[in-house]
Amino acid sequence: MSDRPINVKIGENKDIKYIDLSSMKIANCVGCFGCWTKTPGKCVIRDDAAKVYPFIAESSSVIYVSHVKYGGYDSVMKTMIERAIPIQQAFIRIHQGETHHVQRNVATKDAVIIAYGNTDSEEQEIFRQLVERNARNMNFGKYEIVFVTEHEVEKTVQNEFKKWEK
Amino acid sequence: MIINGSPRAPKSNSRKYSEIFIKYSKLQCDYFNITKSNHHELIAEMEKYSDVVIVFPLYADSLPVGLLNFLKNLETNLPKNRPVISILINCGFLEYEQNCVAVSMIRYFCRHNNLPMGSVLMLGSGEAILDTPFRYIAVRAIKRLSESVNKRNYKDLTATMPLPKWLFKMAARSYWIRYGKKFGVSEKEMKRMEIEGNM
Ligand SMILES: Cc1cc2nc3c(=O)[nH]c(=O)nc-3n(C[C@H](O)[C@H](O)[C@H](O)COP(=O)(O)O)c2cc1C
Repeated sequence: MSDRPINVKIGENKDIKYIDLSSMKIANCVGCFGCWTKTPGKCVIRDDAAKVYPFIAESSSVIYVSHVKYGGYDSVMKTMIERAIPIQQAFIRIHQGETHHVQRNVATKDAVIIAYGNTDSEEQEIFRQLVERNARNMNFGKYEIVFVTEHEVEKTVQNEFKKWEK
Repeated sequence: MIINGSPRAPKSNSRKYSEIFIKYSKLQCDYFNITKSNHHELIAEMEKYSDVVIVFPLYADSLPVGLLNFLKNLETNLPKNRPVISILINCGFLEYEQNCVAVSMIRYFCRHNNLPMGSVLMLGSGEAILDTPFRYIAVRAIKRLSESVNKRNYKDLTATMPLPKWLFKMAARSYWIRYGKKFGVSEKEMKRMEIEGNM
């Protein structure tokens, strides 16, 4: 799942899905909690996000590609992450010593986060802490963060992708 | 100046927190919501104030995207007079520490744009605390925040419900069951494991 188009050849493998968020229509979460209390498991905003979060839930390996802003995901990726809360329940569990939400049918994931842009070391440190927190809320089993410049993105994705094909 | 960065600003907890802040403030406070289209107005307005308090919720471990977009706009249109930026962030979970990353992001933003940083209040259990017997804890912390901005004696403050995690979990359960009831949705339905159409 990427915030910009990426040239990757997926071929026939139906277990692999490529999502270019920049080509989709995804509105901001309005924080209504409808997906927990009104239509559990479904966002009340019926745009492209509703096609994306079922794949996020289902996948056991993910590669997320995002530009970094102020040490966090930039707007395109952040918008989608916020819209993915239907895959959790309102209810709380105690997870890794903290209160977090119960997940619906969400596979534990190996995540590779390709974080691009001209990030400085301070931003990278904030981003590491962010992903460490995300891991608890977004069901990451293992994760790895790769910081790259924008022009290295494509090559980096292709490298990660080759690991999947093995 | 108070800026509410909640995506549901008119009906938000951040709004209620802002009102408490205003109640205890001796400075003149003017309150604004961030919308998709008012960034430039807000930035022009910022110029007139010594202090800006941004009140917002934690969203997916960081800043709500509407607030992020506002900051990106602010960065490219910085006001000539730089107010001191204080923040009041609240998160749904019990641990106020879960707000730390978002606070680091604001600090980073301020440092890189030469905006002085003032006080920080991190609230945990912010979705529900005002409707519980622990309301006073939130009110007391916001009062301290307000005083610190008034006196320009900036501080880092924290508050949450004084509950063990298991009890918070139970309290949250009744909170959400009540929430669902308003829409005629049962606990069992809310606990549905399926996502979207996969019934
Ligand atoms: C999309 C979304 C993401 C959220 N992410 C988090 C989170 O990562 N951690 C947390 O503790 N609370 C999270 N919350 C809960 C809110 O921070 C909490 O409900 C807060 O009180 C909302 O404040 P507001 O009414 O001012 O918007 C999230 C809520 C929404 C709607």
